[in-house]
Amino acid sequence: MALLEIKDLVKRFDGRTVLNGVTFELNEGQTKVIMGPSGCGKSTLLRCLNRLLEPDGGQIFFRGEDVALPDTDIRQHRQRIGFVFQQFALYRHLTVLENITLGLRKLRRLSTAAADKKAAYQLERMEMGAHRLKYPAHLSVGQKQRVAIARALAMDPAVLFFDEPTSALDPLMSLEVAAVINQLRSENVTMLCVTHDVSLARHVTDRVIFLDDGQVKAEDSAEQLLTTHADPRIRQFFGQPAALK
Amino acid sequence: MMALTDFLRDVGNDSALLLGGLRSTLLLATTISITGFVGGVLVFFCTLTSNRIGRYWVESYISFFIGTPLLVLLFLMYYGLPQWGVRLSPLWVSIIGFTLNVAAYNARYLTTAYRGLDTGELEAARAQGFTSWQVFTLITLPQVLRLSIPGLTNQVILNLKDSSIAFLIQYTEFFAQIQELSARNFKFFQAYLFAGIVYLGLVSVIVLIARHLEAKCMIPGVRG
Ligand SMILES: Nc1ncnc2c1ncn2[C@@H]1O[C@H](COP(=O)(O)OP(=O)(O)OP(=O)(O)O)[C@@H](O)[C@H]1O
Ligand SMILES: [Mg+2]
Repeated sequence: MALLEIKDLVKRFDGRTVLNGVTFELNEGQTKVIMGPSGCGKSTLLRCLNRLLEPDGGQIFFRGEDVALPDTDIRQHRQRIGFVFQQFALYRHLTVLENITLGLRKLRRLSTAAADKKAAYQLERMEMGAHRLKYPAHLSVGQKQRVAIARALAMDPAVLFFDEPTSALDPLMSLEVAAVINQLRSENVTMLCVTHDVSLARHVTDRVIFLDDGQVKAEDSAEQLLTTHADPRIRQFFGQPAALK
Repeated sequence: MMALTDFLRDVGNDSALLLGGLRSTLLLATTISITGFVGGVLVFFCTLTSNRIGRYWVESYISFFIGTPLLVLLFLMYYGLPQWGVRLSPLWVSIIGFTLNVAAYNARYLTTAYRGLDTGELEAARAQGFTSWQVFTLITLPQVLRLSIPGLTNQVILNLKDSSIAFLIQYTEFFAQIQELSARNFKFFQAYLFAGIVYLGLVSVIVLIARHLEAKCMIPGVRG
């Protein structure tokens, strides 16, 4: 069964339709990348999937259960999704360690000792163990990214969402992020990643979803979309990512 | 020189009254600092409502009490309310009046600091599955309070100094006792100078505590 099955998802802002019937699936252990022109609704899509935004239509099946219904336990649903934001959104009044343990203690109700242990494990996994007592302001951009990922992973989510994980990074650090995502992929972590970054897409995924005009216009491998896709608009997008940013 | 030693002897003779006044001053200033702080946090919490009418009322509350002289409010309650049969003691009028006023100012400090927060952090907390109340108590409030320490402690200093106007509604605090003293010995200059020095000493203590608090609670890398 698919982990996530999205059917005809619709989202409007003040009467303007941004998502106009988005349909796709994400299987357990799979990594999919969502690409598309700026403003086509990629971030909106991710936010609808964890109900940070309310969809105006369609269904979102999470392991077969429609989580777009009004009686869904939204907070329960959100806890199954690890969301890594573009600007990382680390809590700046908390240390690296506290950033990760906050959810474990207050949502998972772990003891401080158990939460610390779990957080330490995730920080080691992201090679951030030595920085655990630092505050976000004292981290490099790449380090913040790793902490944000560790914070998401610590909650044992069923799926990780990334919104533009490399847009704040220089090319070298982007490669590092690609390496981290690949590492997670080899550990069968399910991931959905929104990006403008064609090279990231080629590095990390089997499947790229191309979103435009509020709909899924194509779904294929990055290579396929880039070189041989029939639609010239899609070939052009992947050929000239910089111009469209 | 003679005048000064004479005056200090008068102070010594009246020390019981003056100390009593000082105690009343500290009682009022401490009380309204606490109630004004708690009230300010509550009013600030109310400003975060997504309900438009609710927000309008909270904003009106803040603007009204910041825009109205406290003295008018105190007179209204102390001299005006008895007309309708409501008689409150000077202390109660002072506590109620100051609290309404101070809470409005504190709420304003907090809402200003709130505008400096990173909305991304609040969204991330919601995305993690925290309730609105948890987002408020775990993320919003700890950050906003730390950013507001200068404003909030400044308000405590104002509370101490402004508490002296309570003597105008017959609350016999320190300044009222000073008035009494000078009315008896006619050494007005020395009396008011003495009062000024005492207030300055108390304010200095608050400033020292505030500095310590600020250094201890600063969010690393974030300027308030
Ligand atoms: N809260 C909102 N209220 C009104 N309009 C919004 C809101 N959020 C997004 N939009 C609009 O919806 C459209 C899609 O926005 P979204 O951020 O999802 O695009 P995106 O594909 O993520 O773009 P980018 O590549 O620039 O990040 C944009 O035109 C945007 O202006
Ligand atoms: Mg976006």
